[in-house]
Order: sequence, then structure tokens, then C-alpha cells
Amino acid sequence: MLSVDQVFVRRGAALTLQDVSLSLAPNRTLAVVGESGAGKSTLISAVLGLVPCTSGQITWANAPVRSCRRALVLQEPRSAFNPRLSLRRSVMEPVVAQGKAADPARLDTLCRGLEIPPDLLERSPMQVSVGQAQRVGILRALIAAPPFVLFDEPLSALDAVTQKHTARLIAELQREEGFAALIVTHDLGYAAAFSDDIAVLRDGRIEELNASQAFVEAPQTVYGRTLRDAAFALGALERVA
Amino acid sequence: MIRLIASLFLRAVVVLSGAALATFALLWHAPGDPALAIALARYDAMVTAEVVDQVRAQSGLDAGFWPAFQDWIMPLLVGDFGQSSVTGRAVWPELVTAISYTMPLALTGLLIGILISVPLAVVATQRPGGWLDRCAVALASIGAAIPAYWLGLLLILLFAVQLGWLPAMGARSPAHVVLPALTLGLGVAASFTRILRSGILEARGQPFLPAFRRRGVAGRDIERDHVAPHAAIPVVTVFGLELAFLLEGAVMVEVIFARPGLGSFLVNAIEARDFPKVQAVVILAAVLFVTVNLLIDLIYRALDPRIGERDA
Amino acid sequence: MTITASGLSASRSGRTILHPTTVGIRPGERVGLVGASGSGKSTLGHVLIDALRAQGQSVAHVPQSPDEALDPLCSMAFHWREAERALNLAPDTIRQQALFAALRIEGGDLRKRPWSWSRGMQQRFVIAMALIGTPDLLVMDEPTSALDPVVAADTMDLLDTYLSDRKTALLLITHDLGLVARRVSRLLVMDEGRIVEDAHTERFLSAPETQAAKSLCAHRNWLELPC
Repeated sequence: MLSVDQVFVRRGAALTLQDVSLSLAPNRTLAVVGESGAGKSTLISAVLGLVPCTSGQITWANAPVRSCRRALVLQEPRSAFNPRLSLRRSVMEPVVAQGKAADPARLDTLCRGLEIPPDLLERSPMQVSVGQAQRVGILRALIAAPPFVLFDEPLSALDAVTQKHTARLIAELQREEGFAALIVTHDLGYAAAFSDDIAVLRDGRIEELNASQAFVEAPQTVYGRTLRDAAFALGALERVA
Repeated sequence: MIRLIASLFLRAVVVLSGAALATFALLWHAPGDPALAIALARYDAMVTAEVVDQVRAQSGLDAGFWPAFQDWIMPLLVGDFGQSSVTGRAVWPELVTAISYTMPLALTGLLIGILISVPLAVVATQRPGGWLDRCAVALASIGAAIPAYWLGLLLILLFAVQLGWLPAMGARSPAHVVLPALTLGLGVAASFTRILRSGILEARGQPFLPAFRRRGVAGRDIERDHVAPHAAIPVVTVFGLELAFLLEGAVMVEVIFARPGLGSFLVNAIEARDFPKVQAVVILAAVLFVTVNLLIDLIYRALDPRIGERDA
Repeated sequence: MTITASGLSASRSGRTILHPTTVGIRPGERVGLVGASGSGKSTLGHVLIDALRAQGQSVAHVPQSPDEALDPLCSMAFHWREAERALNLAPDTIRQQALFAALRIEGGDLRKRPWSWSRGMQQRFVIAMALIGTPDLLVMDEPTSALDPVVAADTMDLLDTYLSDRKTALLLITHDLGLVARRVSRLLVMDEGRIVEDAHTERFLSAPETQAAKSLCAHRNWLELPC
């Protein structure tokens, strides 16, 4: 269980996160929705344990989050890989880093789950499409079976149809693997469709935190309503008779 | 802003202190007995051991490294360059005279360098990869590799000896500046051409240029307003480094062409172990360097405001 | 006068990215050009603009991101004046104020360089610049991709309002059908360098014919909520 407890983070002179509290159980998905400058990047760094909290704490299973196995899926798939290594080597890095032996059966299962053809992994990141690269990024995140995966705008670099498809694959894998997923995104449509809970981040604070369905049907704050109305205006959410 | 200037200033102080210490230490530990060298230069004849010891005491060379260093650096901080160990005359006036010979040379060299490199780079980039472009790059690379003294001697051989068009030695007339300035200028042109060329090509590849074309802005206006300013930025940066070449080249060139100036001033002073004179030149060069680079840093940030932000 | 360009094609390193295509847009028509990444839609946008400008038509193009439209070393005022000059128009403060008001960028300091403006304001400035010469056709490439959703929705609404009583036609290029479905009257679908479907929006949404179109329709939103 991920627990973010009244966290304040100071970067330079400013408090980029103020009194942020969240919790996330295994097999659940929490989407943190916010605009640029809301503090999403800082939240990601803090949750991964990469920046210290000025006050408050972030724990997984009551231990500091740095001690647990966690994974990150990045926004720009192709630049998330070392261009000089084959995708296979990049993917196996988390396993190798833990000193474990590669498990070909697991790799196979995950590849099938992510619709990655076997020969794709022999290529370099520049030789595959953006959609393929992102799926391989997800593969790398899941290969060592982390209990908790963080997704930083995982679909922003993909086109509309590929986004939906990839989101479905992630959800199916979560059902099979049981990891807790924290998705940071500016796309409320994606958050509403694929997460259990939505937290709205604005200027470093959590404006609203609610179950996705409830949030989308009736946001409790003005800002929440603005976000939701924008999602309708952009066609991410649609009203049908 | 204040913090920026203060930090650049602090950097300058550190560089200058390092330069002062390093020069003093190098000269102190140079082979041979400095007191002997000074005595020989002063009296221009073989001297006895007593005279050498006298000279040593007079010049403060017997006091040890740190006292001697302090002795020199303290007056310097208030602008007193001291007296020559050899002649006893004040260093500063002679230094000024030397500079008055070197400045015209360096500036003419710089001018020649710019006059060659700018048109060459602009024309070469009209057709990147074309034969002119490749020639320009090749010439520039060769030019950067040729040492100033070798080029100077070659030019003397060709224009002074074989063709007899230009004088080789001395500084009697304006014509005497031509060959030395050309030697310097060709070196400057070599590196400027390359930097300018790659600056222009990079500036031409910027993502927003097609939008300006599509808006109907004329090609020439795009080159002038949207390519040139971007291309100038790496050139401005390199300018500070070029100054090193100019100074070093000027010293070399003056010695080869037997011109009076900082070069001969320095070389003679080193031979005679004339500490105050040597250090005066080095400190002067260091101050010049640091000031120019400070200015360039500030100009750079004024040209492209994003740069200051990135540092923060 | 319908705006037409034909034989539009493009290739890169020997591969054809855009097969010879004809595009025709009626005055004041709002058209959406939709397709997956790599289908060639941005390329079609560029080639179309270049061809129409060569014909002497009054057209304007708004790139995907302000980084592709603004020179970081030039002030906003410089950009505006330059755009006016490029159209052979005298500086007109009234026109400028009207466009700024329409796109809600009145507060911006024109003496500043792009980087001091927010991305949303930069993008709206670029749109305003495109409208200076009241073009017959405005082509917008992924107008919302560089913007936050609230700003993006606002910008699209402002644009809708501005264009509603003008004869400027609009071509919206995007990978996101949901974005354009209710803003355009006609949809073009691109797939692998070709326009594979061209239909009025209602017909398209109710009965898409090609595989590409069906896929886009099925995935045009994330969630449907009851009214």
C-alpha cells in the first residue's frame, strides 16, 4: 500500500507540493490529473523517492518508499532507452540489476500481453514506432514484477487510437499482475476511463480526491468542474443519449 | 542579476589569483640562477659571485618563495607594477609603450580574420556540402593546425624574400604591419570560418524557419533576422577563446618579425629573469582575458535570455 | 470559390509519404483531417499550404507547437510587424487589438520574447498572426497538442467564435477525432499517405466505411456518459 502522508516538497525557493496526501492499494489505479506547473513532476520524483520531502513521508507497506521495488514508465518512449543498446538488453536491465536470472517464460507472457512480436526486442529504440517503443517501456517496467508502477503521461506521445489500445493493455496486465498503478496525466478522459480514483493537483495541492465515476459525474470543486468541462469540449468525454 | 555579476566577478578573482601564483612559481623554479641572469642582463658582462649575491639580496630573491611573492603581489593590488630588476626603471611606462605597438597588430589581425571568415562562411553555406563548402572546411582545418611562427616564416620567405613586395622585419612603417597581421589574421580566419559555418548551418536547421517562409517572409529577411542572430551566438562565445590565440600569436609573431611590442618585451624579460616585467605581462594578459570573457558572458545573456534561465 | 489543389505528394528518402492527392475546400467550410501518426496528415498540411501559396491564394498555417512558429530571439512585436509586412499590409493597431481581443491575449507584453509568454498565449498569438490577412483558408496542425486541456478547450472555443461569422475556411489536422467531430462539417481520413474517406460528419460518425475510419470512430472518446 502506497501512502503519501501530508507531504511538503520544497524546490529552490518555492514549495512545489503542499500538504499532499494520497493512498494507493495493490491492484488499484489512482490517476493524478493536473495542468503544467501543478507539481506533477515533483510528485513523481517524490513518490519514487528521488527527492526528499521537506516534511511528511511517503511509504510503501510502512517502509520508506525507496526500499521497495518500483518502476516508472516515461512519457517519451524512444528517449527513455539507451539508443546504443538493443531493446532486449534495456528491458532486461531491471532484472540484471537485481542479480536475478532472466526468466524467459515471464518475458514471453508479458510480450504476449503487450502484443510485442518476439523479434522486435532485437531492434534498437530508433527502429521501432513510438507505440511499439512505449509498449516495450511498459514491458521493462513490469519485467521485475514490481508491486507498484508509476506512469508519467504514458500515452501523451501516442495517437488517439493507439492511446486507447495501450491503455487497455495496461489495464489487462494490471489485472493479471496485481500491481498498484499511479498514473500522472493531463488527460481527464483517460483518467476517468481507466482509474479507480482521481486526484486533482493544482499549484502543489490536491484540490479534489474522489472515485473516478463520482468525480466525472459531479466534481465537487470549481476547478474540478473546469477540468471536466474542458474534457467534454475536447471530446475526451462525450454525452450520449 | 547582482548575484550573477558577483559570481562572475568572484570567478575572475580566482582566475587572476591562480595566474599570478602560477607565473611567479614557474619563473621562480625556472632552470638557472635568476640572480645570475639578472646580473648578466644588468651589467652585460661576466660578474663575480659577490655581485650576484648583491643582486639577489636587492631583488628580494633570497627571502624565499612566499615573502618574495607577497612583496610583488601587494603593490600590484594597488596598481604598482614595480621596477625592472635589470634596469631599475618603472615597469609600467615601458609596458604601455610595448602595448602601443602590439594593439594595432592584434586589431589588424582580428580585422583581417573577420574580413576573410565572414564572407567565406556565408558563401560556403549557400551550398552546404558543395565543393566550395568542403574547400572552406579543409582550408580552415589546415589553417587551425598551422602554428603562427611557421606561417609567419613562410610569408616572409614568399613576400619579403622572393617577391620583395613587403618588408619583413621591424615596425618602421605601416607596411611593416601587413605580414605580421596577415599571419595572425589567417589563424583567426581559420577558426572563425569553422565556427561561423557550423553556426549558420545549425541556425538554418531551426524548427521555426519553415513557418516564417510559409508566412511569406522573404528569404533574405529570414537570413538577416532569423538565421544570422542565432549563428552569431556561438561566434560570440568563441570570441573569448580567440583572444587567447591573438595574444599568444601576437607574442610569436612579434618575435619572428622583430617588432617591438609585448612579445619582445616578454621574451627579453624572461631571458633576463626580470620578474616584475614578466609578471606584469602575464597579469595584464590575465586581466584582459577575464574582462573580455566577463563581457562576453554578459553579452551572451543579453542576446539570448534563455541562457541565464537555464543556469538558474 | 472553392480552394483546390491537386497532385499534392511528398516523399522522404525514397519512400512516398504522401501519394498524389487532391484537396478541395469550399468557402467558409470547416473540415477535419484525421489519421493515425505517420499517416501523412501533417505532410499534407504543409504541401497543401505551399501549393496554395504558389497559386497566390490567401492561406495561413498554424504549426503544432509555438516552438515551430516563433523565433526565440525576436520580440512578439517584431513577429507581428514582420507578418504584416509579409502580407504587404500597413501596421494597423485596430486590427491587432481586435485579433488580440478575439483570442484573449490583450494582456501580453509585445516587447517581450516568446519565452516570457505562457505556451497557451504563444499559441493564440500564432493563430492571431495567421488571421492578420483574413486568409481564405486556415490550416491548423494538431492545435491542442502543445496545450493544457483547459487552455486548449478555451482556444478552440475562441477560434470557433471568431470564425463563426467570417468566410475563412478551416482545415483542422489531428489524430484525435473527438477533438474535431463536433466542430467540423466534413471529415477526411488519411491512412498511409492517402485520403481514404471523405464524408459529412453525421454520415461519417454514424456509418464509417473504411477500416481506418471505423477505428477512429470507435476510439474517439474515452468515456460516454448519459445525458
